[in-house]
Amino acid sequence: MKQHKKGLIIWLGIVTVLLVLTFVVGSPGEHGDVQAAMRDAVLHDMNRISLFGLKEVNPALISAMTVSAILLIAALLIRILVIPRFSYVPGRFQLALETVVSTLDGMALIKEPGRISFVGAYVFAAGVYIFCGTLFELFGFQAVTTAGHSIALPAPLSDVNAAICMGCMSYLAILGGGIRHAGMHGFKATLKEFSLPISMSFRLFGALLSGLLVTELVYHYAALSYVLPVIVGIMFTLLHALVQAYVLTMLVGMYYHEVTEKPESKPQKAK
Amino acid sequence: MPLNIDWQQILLHLLNFTILAGGLYFLLYKPVKDFMAKREQHYKEIDDLAMQDRTETAQLRRAAQEKYDAMSDEIALMRSKASDEIEAEKARMLGEARAEARRILETAGKTADMRAKKALADSNEQIREIALEAVHKLIINDGSALDQFLDAAESESHNA
Repeated sequence: MKQHKKGLIIWLGIVTVLLVLTFVVGSPGEHGDVQAAMRDAVLHDMNRISLFGLKEVNPALISAMTVSAILLIAALLIRILVIPRFSYVPGRFQLALETVVSTLDGMALIKEPGRISFVGAYVFAAGVYIFCGTLFELFGFQAVTTAGHSIALPAPLSDVNAAICMGCMSYLAILGGGIRHAGMHGFKATLKEFSLPISMSFRLFGALLSGLLVTELVYHYAALSYVLPVIVGIMFTLLHALVQAYVLTMLVGMYYHEVTEKPESKPQKAK
Repeated sequence: MPLNIDWQQILLHLLNFTILAGGLYFLLYKPVKDFMAKREQHYKEIDDLAMQDRTETAQLRRAAQEKYDAMSDEIALMRSKASDEIEAEKARMLGEARAEARRILETAGKTADMRAKKALADSNEQIREIALEAVHKLIINDGSALDQFLDAAESESHNA
């Protein structure tokens, strides 16, 4: 009990010192413009990163590539080290892996359960990408911009280009599934939902961007940098990752289910 | 372009995601799904075998029950037959015992008659012997009496 009190006093002392130091030191003037930070978060027109010296791109593209590389390496390691040791009575990790695969696969609302389908695989990849991509911003990987500044890499989908890519890919997956399973009817049903790529893209972009803006805003002011980031930075991001992955996969599954439904034959009218 | 939309970057994102999706499909999704399908198949086979065993057991049980029922009927029949045979045997033995008893009684009656006759004859013989003895004693002890008797008997025969 006595030790607990001692620890608490030390912790409170450190917090107080840091708080005082924060106000004494102040923040640099040139990074203090919140409007510029917000504008850059939306448009990515200030901080750009060189892609292997070929082209200046938005930081989110670098984030997307990093996330993909991490995921592929992790998948490769799992494939080599874990999957060959799978047993009929699963361990914790196997169970977690199977749960992720079957949950995301189940989101696809595939009509022949147990069968590997293109949409199931797409939903799995999209779900994992959105979830891990959103969590990626938590780690604050640093990159150097073409202007020489160091920035923390954002979530890939906070870039409108990435969101458009996901929206279009989702639409194409639905279209492909519709044509494969319902033929011309599926094709027509998917074309009817012509606004789907736009709505999906901007839903994803808006959701991710709003999270980014709130986080940016919170971190921008020193006074808000205590306690609040724990909730905003971590809890919001976690929740966000889960919700966005769920929303997109659910939408894809739902639309896929809708367009692959075969039309009920109308009863013939008695002459 | 509004919102800094860049078609080249969209295509780069598309390329990136396609590579990721393909990689995840071959490295994670397919192997895990294959394994799950394999496990499902394994348990389905076990389930089928169990179901088959259950069906066979039910058939065996039904056959055993049928056999048991047939045997029960047979036992009941045999029991009834045995009971009839016992009854018949009992009746036969009882008849024989009665006949034997009657025969024994008849034999005993005959034996008793014979013995009674023999006893009567023996008694008569003894009485005659005793009488003869008594007469003899009388004659030996007193000769005149005999003579008187003989004389009297002779005179009576002459008179007659």
